[in-house]
Amino acid sequence: MKWLDDLFERKTRTVAQHSSRRGALIRIGKLMVGTAFVLPVLPFDRTAQAAAGAARKAANAKPGETDCEYWRYCAQDGYLCSCCGGSANTCPPGTEASKVAWIGTCRNPDDGKDYLISYNDCCGKTACGRCLCNTNERERPAYRMGVHNDINWCMANDSTMFHCTLAAVVGVADGQG
Amino acid sequence: MLRKAFAGSLLTTALTLGMSAGALAELAPESITTGQLPPPHPYRIYLSDVAIGHIVDGRLHVIDGKRLSYEGIVATGYTGQVTLSADRKEIFVATTYYSRLSHGVRTDVVDVHDAQTLKKTGEIEIPPRHAQSLNYKGTIRASADGRWLFVQYATPATSVGIIDLQTRKAVAEVATPGCWSILPAASVGGRFSTICGDGTLLTVSLDDKGQVATQKRSAKFFDADKDPIFIHGEQDGDTYRFVSFHGDVYAARVGGAVAGFEPAWSILNAADRKQGWRPGGYQLIAQHNASGRLYVGMHDKGMEGSHKTPAKEIWTIDLAAQKRVARTPGTNAIALAVSQGEGARLFAYDGVKAAIAAFDVGSKLSLAGRLEHVGETPTQMELH
Repeated sequence: MKWLDDLFERKTRTVAQHSSRRGALIRIGKLMVGTAFVLPVLPFDRTAQAAAGAARKAANAKPGETDCEYWRYCAQDGYLCSCCGGSANTCPPGTEASKVAWIGTCRNPDDGKDYLISYNDCCGKTACGRCLCNTNERERPAYRMGVHNDINWCMANDSTMFHCTLAAVVGVADGQG
Repeated sequence: MLRKAFAGSLLTTALTLGMSAGALAELAPESITTGQLPPPHPYRIYLSDVAIGHIVDGRLHVIDGKRLSYEGIVATGYTGQVTLSADRKEIFVATTYYSRLSHGVRTDVVDVHDAQTLKKTGEIEIPPRHAQSLNYKGTIRASADGRWLFVQYATPATSVGIIDLQTRKAVAEVATPGCWSILPAASVGGRFSTICGDGTLLTVSLDDKGQVATQKRSAKFFDADKDPIFIHGEQDGDTYRFVSFHGDVYAARVGGAVAGFEPAWSILNAADRKQGWRPGGYQLIAQHNASGRLYVGMHDKGMEGSHKTPAKEIWTIDLAAQKRVARTPGTNAIALAVSQGEGARLFAYDGVKAAIAAFDVGSKLSLAGRLEHVGETPTQMELH
C-alpha cells in the first residue's frame, strides 16, 4: 500500500495549492460561505474553553487567535495550537506539522475574501488539552476525506500522536485573488 | 490561631467517632474480590470514548442501561475503534500502540476482550493503518456469520482490512479509494458495502479465503455536493438507512453483489424547513426495526456547519407512513441507540453535560432516568 500512501499524500498536499479538486472545493465554498454567523462550539465545550469564550463575549472583544470564533477556525476540530505554544500557523516547539491536512474555506471579515485554510495537526506529543474547538463549516463525512475533520491528520507522520491543530492560510479562493 | 482551632476540632471529632464506634458492633474484616457484570441483557451499553484530552489512553465505558449504573471499562489505547462479535461474546478493539507511548515503534492490533469478564483474551496484529478516527460504527464491523472482521484503514488513502476470525489473522486488504465506512450484509457473510464520495456504494464480495471475488459499484443514490448523507447508518437485515444533512431518508439494500436503493423522502414539512430544522450529531439516528420507528437528533436554525449540533429535539419517524409521529426534548444528544425487540429503550448521549438519558419507548418516548458524568468525548454507543 506504500504507493497508495505516497500518491494520496502528494495529492493532499497539492490540494491546497493547485489541484482540480480545489476548484470543486471552492465551488462548494462559494455556495456556502455566507454571512459572518457564529456557530456554537460543539460538542465538547464544557471545560475551560467555554468559560474563556464567555469571558470574551462579555468584554465584546473581536475574536483572536486563541478563540474558537476566530474567522480562520471555521472548520477547526481540535486543540488550538495558539493555546499550546504555537500559533495559527506554527506548531508548538518539539512537535512536527502533519504531512497531510484537511481543507476549509473561511471568510476573513477584515477584507471580505474567502481563503483556503489548511488545517494541519501538530504531531508527536500527547494531546495539548487547551482550547478545544469544533466548528464544521463545509466539513463533510470521510467519503470526502480532504474536507473531513473527525480523523487524526497526524496519521501519515512517523509519530501519529495528535497534539493540536493549526489553521494556515494557503491562498485566496478562486476568482477573488 | 486557626491551626489551633482546627487541631481542637479534629480531636473532638476523633473522640466522638471513638465513642460512637464503641457503641456499635465491630466491622468484620473484608476480603477483596473482583466484581462481575450481571448476565448479558439488551440494555448493556458500550460507550466508545477516544478521550481526546488524553487520546493515547482511550476507553470503552460499559454501562448498565437498565439500572443506569457504571459497570466497568475496557482500555482502548490510541483512537481505538470498537465492535462486538456476531455472537456478542467478544469485544474487538482496533487500535494503535507506540513502544514509547507517543513515539517509537507503532504497532496496530485488534485487541480481543471477553464481553462478560471485560478481561483481555488475545490480540491480532494488523497493518499499522487502522483509521485513527472519532468513534463511528462503520470503522470496524464483524461479518454477520462471525467469520470475518472488517477494519477501516486510512493513511489517508482508504482501504478495508479483512481479518479471519477462525485463524485470528489479517488475511487481506481491499483498496476502497474515495469510500468510507463498512456496511456488512446480513445475508452473506463475506460481503460488505462502503459509501463513496461520488454518491455510490461499492460492494465487496469475498471468497472463502477472504480475498476479493468481486467489487461492484452501484448507481449514484445521493449527491454529496448538494445534500450529503451522514455516515452513520442503521441496519435492518440487509437494509441500511441513512439521513442527509437536509433531512432526507435514504435506504440501501446491500445483500446482493451490487447495492440497490429505495426512493429518498423527507422527514421535514414546509414549516419545519422554514424554521431550519435539520438532523445533527454523530450517531444521530437509531432505528427500532420491529416497530419501524426511526429516531433522529434534530436542531432548528440549521445552517452550513451545524451538522454536528447536539439535538434540540429527538424526532420519532414512522418509516411505513413516512411521517413524524412524535417530538421529544433532545437532551443534547450527539449519539442515539435503541434496543431491539420488546421493552425497547432509547439511549441518548448528552454531549453537553456528558450524561446518558434513557427513554422507555412506547407510543411516545418517556424519560426513564439519566446517568450523569459519564465519558469525556465519546461519539458512539453500541448495545449488547
